[in-house]
Amino acid sequence: MRRIAEILLLLHWFNLLSVEGTRYSLPGKPTLTRCRSPEKETFTCWWEPSFDGGLSTTYALYYCKENSDTVHECPDYHTAGVNSCFFNKNNTSIWVNYNITVVATNALGSTFSDPVEIDVVYIVMPHPPENVGVTVLEDKGWPFLRLSWEPPHKVDTRSGWITLIYELRVKLEEETEWEMHLAGQQKMFNIFSLRSGGTYLVQVRCKPDHGFWSEWSSTTSIKVPDYFQRERSVWVM
Amino acid sequence: LFVVAASGAIPINDLLDRASQQSDRMHSLSTMLTHELGSHFPPIGKVMMPRPGSCHTSSLQTPNDKAQALQISEADLLSLARSLLQAWSDPLMVLSSSVSTLPHPAQSRISNKLQQLQEHSQSLGDGLEMLSGKMGPTAQTISLLPYRGGNDLGQDRISKLVNFNFLLSCLRRDSHKIDSFLKVLRCRAAKMQPEIC
Repeated sequence: MRRIAEILLLLHWFNLLSVEGTRYSLPGKPTLTRCRSPEKETFTCWWEPSFDGGLSTTYALYYCKENSDTVHECPDYHTAGVNSCFFNKNNTSIWVNYNITVVATNALGSTFSDPVEIDVVYIVMPHPPENVGVTVLEDKGWPFLRLSWEPPHKVDTRSGWITLIYELRVKLEEETEWEMHLAGQQKMFNIFSLRSGGTYLVQVRCKPDHGFWSEWSSTTSIKVPDYFQRERSVWVM
Repeated sequence: LFVVAASGAIPINDLLDRASQQSDRMHSLSTMLTHELGSHFPPIGKVMMPRPGSCHTSSLQTPNDKAQALQISEADLLSLARSLLQAWSDPLMVLSSSVSTLPHPAQSRISNKLQQLQEHSQSLGDGLEMLSGKMGPTAQTISLLPYRGGNDLGQDRISKLVNFNFLLSCLRRDSHKIDSFLKVLRCRAAKMQPEIC
């Protein structure tokens, strides 16, 4: 054991030896940072490179699936951006563990990341709900907000493949605290307890059965006319 | 008994809705248990964990993606869900009776969740049996997947933890399958009420 460690250390120093006066080394150990499936049908993994050892370094992702020793290389390095690997529907199985490793390689050799083991069903995190709309309606002369939205278009909720629940949050533009509401499976929600006129900001997010909350949708805003001022002046009179 | 007597009157939609609420809960419980156990799992245990292919249910052919799952008939989906559920009745008992000797600080929490799991599994089994009666002979076919691990999860501390964890990881996957199949069934049955799906 000691011997191996010494040899490794020697090799390490050898790699640090200057070639033409510059210090070069093996690339640093890359880290597989996360994997995410937005709809239980495809998934993407991302990694973070470490130092490149002063040399041009390339990255490759390898995986093998449970009950098979065949090693595959990432099928698509482009679709999901830099330092990522995208698995399309044909390359995605569920209820099967993937053992994934990223390898950084330069002229002096390769460094492997720690392997990560995932089953796609445990990494489902949808994109935020879409077409978030908000309107001011009136009930007995009093204003309320009606929010509506659609599930992220990639998620198949119609077949029952994924069931989504929604949560929304509302605040007046100048406030710091959001008011949260759980909407369940509904794709519409009314908010009656408005506190004043002014501009309200609204965001919605969704969570699959057995998965993680999406990010919040981008902010939708709406201006509520000043009913409250009118009401107060009536009261003063 | 009352439920059984009244079952003739319950529409398939409602039965499937109740069933998927129970399967949903079962999967959530098994996930919580996996996390509870995982937080006190020695690193050596991870190396010793058997591969998922050695789960006692892994011989059952189940779909591996959405396209495959959606091609399966209602009766076959129900049969798969029932086979998996039945395969867990013995090992759930083994897990339950092993908690008292499990070297883990949260024994009572684990025991409580396992009891809930057994209750849900029991009533889900009854519900699915009722459903299969309404769906014809294919739905009533059950593949037998016997658990041959015995009643003892091991003598020493490490093998107890490893075997307990391993069984839970199999249960977590199977309960996810059961839940997914039932939710697909629920949506097929609920075509008249698109707001459910």
